[in-house]
Amino acid sequence: MASYAAASRDFARHSCRCLWHNGATRAYRATPGPLAAQNFTMPAMSPTMTEGNIASWKVTEGDSFTTGDVLLEIETDKAQMDVEAQEDGKMAKITQPDGSKAVKVGSRIAVIAEVDDDLSTLELPAEDSTSAPSPQEDLKSGVDPSQSSESQAEAPPSSKGADTDTPRSSSSSGSKMPRKQTYPLYPSIAALLHEKGISTSEIDNIPASGPKGRLLKGDVLAYLGRISQSYPSEQSARITKLGHLDLSNVQIAAPAAAPSQSSTSAEPKTTKIPDPEQEPDTEIAVPISMKSVLEVQKRIQETLGVTMPLSTFIARATVIANDGLPRPANYRPSDNELFNQVLGLDKVNQKTSRGNFIPQVTALPTATVFRAPSGPLKKHDIIDILTGNPPRTSKPMVGLPSASTLPGSVPTTNVFSVNAAKGEEKRARVFLERVKTILQVEPGRLVI
Amino acid sequence: MIRTLLPRVASKPASRPFIASSSHAFQQPRYYLFSRRDRGYATEAPEHDLVIIGGGVAGYVAAIKAGQEGLKVACIEKRGALGGTCLNVGCIPSKSLLNNSHMYHQILHDTKKRGIEVGDVKLNLKQMMAAKDTSVQGLTKGVEFLFKKNNVEYIPGTGAFSGEHEVKVNKIDGGEATLLAKNILIATGSEATPFPGLTIDEKRVVTSTGAINLQEVPKKMVVIGGGIIGLEMGSVWSRLGSDVTVVEFLGQIGGPGMDAEISKTTQKILGKQGMKFKLGTKVLSGDDSGETIKLEVEAAKGGKKETLDADVVLVAIGRRPYTAGLGLENIGLDVDNKGRLVIDEQYRTKHPHIRVIGDCTFGPMLAHKAEEEAVAAIEYITKGQGHVNYGAIPSVMYTHPEVAWVGQNEAELKEQGIKYRLGSFPFSANSRAKTNLETEGLVKFISDAETDRILGIHIVGPNAGEMIAEGVLAIEYGASSEDVARTSHAHPTLAEAFKEAAMATYSKAIHY
Repeated sequence: MASYAAASRDFARHSCRCLWHNGATRAYRATPGPLAAQNFTMPAMSPTMTEGNIASWKVTEGDSFTTGDVLLEIETDKAQMDVEAQEDGKMAKITQPDGSKAVKVGSRIAVIAEVDDDLSTLELPAEDSTSAPSPQEDLKSGVDPSQSSESQAEAPPSSKGADTDTPRSSSSSGSKMPRKQTYPLYPSIAALLHEKGISTSEIDNIPASGPKGRLLKGDVLAYLGRISQSYPSEQSARITKLGHLDLSNVQIAAPAAAPSQSSTSAEPKTTKIPDPEQEPDTEIAVPISMKSVLEVQKRIQETLGVTMPLSTFIARATVIANDGLPRPANYRPSDNELFNQVLGLDKVNQKTSRGNFIPQVTALPTATVFRAPSGPLKKHDIIDILTGNPPRTSKPMVGLPSASTLPGSVPTTNVFSVNAAKGEEKRARVFLERVKTILQVEPGRLVI
Repeated sequence: MIRTLLPRVASKPASRPFIASSSHAFQQPRYYLFSRRDRGYATEAPEHDLVIIGGGVAGYVAAIKAGQEGLKVACIEKRGALGGTCLNVGCIPSKSLLNNSHMYHQILHDTKKRGIEVGDVKLNLKQMMAAKDTSVQGLTKGVEFLFKKNNVEYIPGTGAFSGEHEVKVNKIDGGEATLLAKNILIATGSEATPFPGLTIDEKRVVTSTGAINLQEVPKKMVVIGGGIIGLEMGSVWSRLGSDVTVVEFLGQIGGPGMDAEISKTTQKILGKQGMKFKLGTKVLSGDDSGETIKLEVEAAKGGKKETLDADVVLVAIGRRPYTAGLGLENIGLDVDNKGRLVIDEQYRTKHPHIRVIGDCTFGPMLAHKAEEEAVAAIEYITKGQGHVNYGAIPSVMYTHPEVAWVGQNEAELKEQGIKYRLGSFPFSANSRAKTNLETEGLVKFISDAETDRILGIHIVGPNAGEMIAEGVLAIEYGASSEDVARTSHAHPTLAEAFKEAAMATYSKAIHY
């Protein structure tokens, strides 16, 4: 709701800015002076807002205000929002008092004057006769012709001399909420604007009847007074209707006499998809004796004078053991494999794949009661810190064999463990078994 | 202690943990499986989020979309191959035959003037059919692959409602299953409407299904119905050597949606290719007892009767929704007087969790329309909103030249009393069409007289089916003909004719 309110506020701010902006442009066109008073219309606080209630005015008639002052509080079914002044001004008259309910967006709620205007001599502008559709109604006008027919109060600029008592700016901001054109202008419109010398700042004041509020050539023609004001929106309504299936005149087949469909159709049922629960990795551990490795290492040192670190043995054993592991249970076949399955060619496929397990090696403490090696594991590894890997907290290795099952537990034995994701347990076990075989039975092969 | 040994093997002294000492205690490998929490397989949810009845274009697209959205979805298809009418016996195989028969026809009649002389051209119909079957198989298997990829459960079998949330499946390979579903999507499609008085055996009296599978080229073929299917299949066999007569009840070919001017032009072109047309003609009765099939026809407005002789009669008078055996009566679903399942704007039946899309409900019976609806229906289920713009759905007839249109035609606009402007451009004035020696046809724009907004675009000519995409886009965006005309089109392309027609609509074409 907070973000909604914020968005609405932004929207309102923008709409208000447009209001004032229009006032400014009008000043160049119409006679200044008494017409400095402007109608202040119900702003749309969100694109979907069509009407709202006035909770309370924060200024009274005759009050001056400066930019940023809160003028009034508006409440909709969704939120309550402050409307801030976008320019300095003076409240000339409040036409919709506190507590006014269901005030249509775009209808006059107050009259605002310049700061130094004398309210006693100020001529109040007439209220626009037509209620103004919000942008949302603009969109809807495609669907509902009755609504769209309302929105035709736009006075073309050519007639500005005639009826100066209804300022064009406020009527344009009132009758059709100016819609910011965020899409690139259509080529015809760009050409037309250029040809007629319409400034780009004016574009957003042209009521747009196109899909998703896009400005169409017809809208500009109507704005220029070349065609009827209401025609573009009527046309849009008609075309939008073509965009829907005609379900108006359904004749139910004879045997089924029941009414075709319930008119009170419930809200669409949305099926909520539960997030798959994150399965924790399983730690699989196997004790491996490094005895024969040490023997080999010693032999090499004696015969060749080279010291091969144990880590090399383990690294090489890891590489070998990773080869051709059984596929994980939740293995996702590649597109090629899937297609071969469809064609029945998967029988010849091998069922193995290369793993990428890296064992963690922990020395088996000599203590009589085996405990999870949580102490040492929690120590931050300097390499982890340097490489930016967060140090992993050890997983509780509950149920490790107690001392009684480890009668001769001795330091040469290290626990090799890997983290196996769900479905990979078997794979991990095969891997560890291989590492064990390699290191315990034939470590000599690793140096050849 | 060594933690992650690789890849920093060299950087760590490995000696610390390996303290040499006496022998180890383990005689055999032991594995310890430890988990942070008890892990039991959750009992599988007994129901699907969505069960789709029908694996045609509507059904399979919905299934894939649903799979992508993470729904647990099953798709029931009784044909034994996915893709429905379109992939198996409709759009796809017919396009294979149209394309290959066109090549054959071109080599026979057209390449010589282009400087390509081919000796001894022979038709191997069996191979042509095999090529078609290969295409079809590849595509249906492709859909099956997409099912696997998107976790859609494919159930070959016949589905029928046994309850509002229950679909009973008679599997093709034997066995039965009952599926429970939160949502059910009916996408059972359509079938060819039979012609009263003629028994369809798919050998001599055929629908489109039989017409793509004839074992030899019939000497004489009569097509009842001059719509898109009739003209496409008539074209195929006409090119391969049949004497084809199209009998159409209406006064124009191509069905009611085709613009009258375009229809007339098309008829002229197809007539030049050797097809014969009997418009405004009613088929009274048929007799298939003899060596050939005899059809009695007369002018629709009344007139003298005539008897047509044919080796093969193609019945192409339209399609009707196919819902037989679906068990609609078990859950009280309504159909209208044309057999279409009754829906609301969100494709819901009176049971809101059961939706219907594609040919078995309202709207034009087009594969791409069904596809749009499929996506929209799934979005209604998962997001609560979806959208199909039925005003911007193109129609294409894949004869040669192709015919394509989108939006409204002149007759419809006249009927609504809407003032419009026309602009057209013939392919004979298009440089690319000229160099290709394919200059028949035209592009025709209809735009609003006031706003210039494009109301309809109608094309007959080379590559019309591809070209219409631009028209659909223009209509979708509410463009005016000037917008299209002011958009650059590459030279030399057939699409330039499209642009020039737009220019002709709001102002004047340059090259005509």
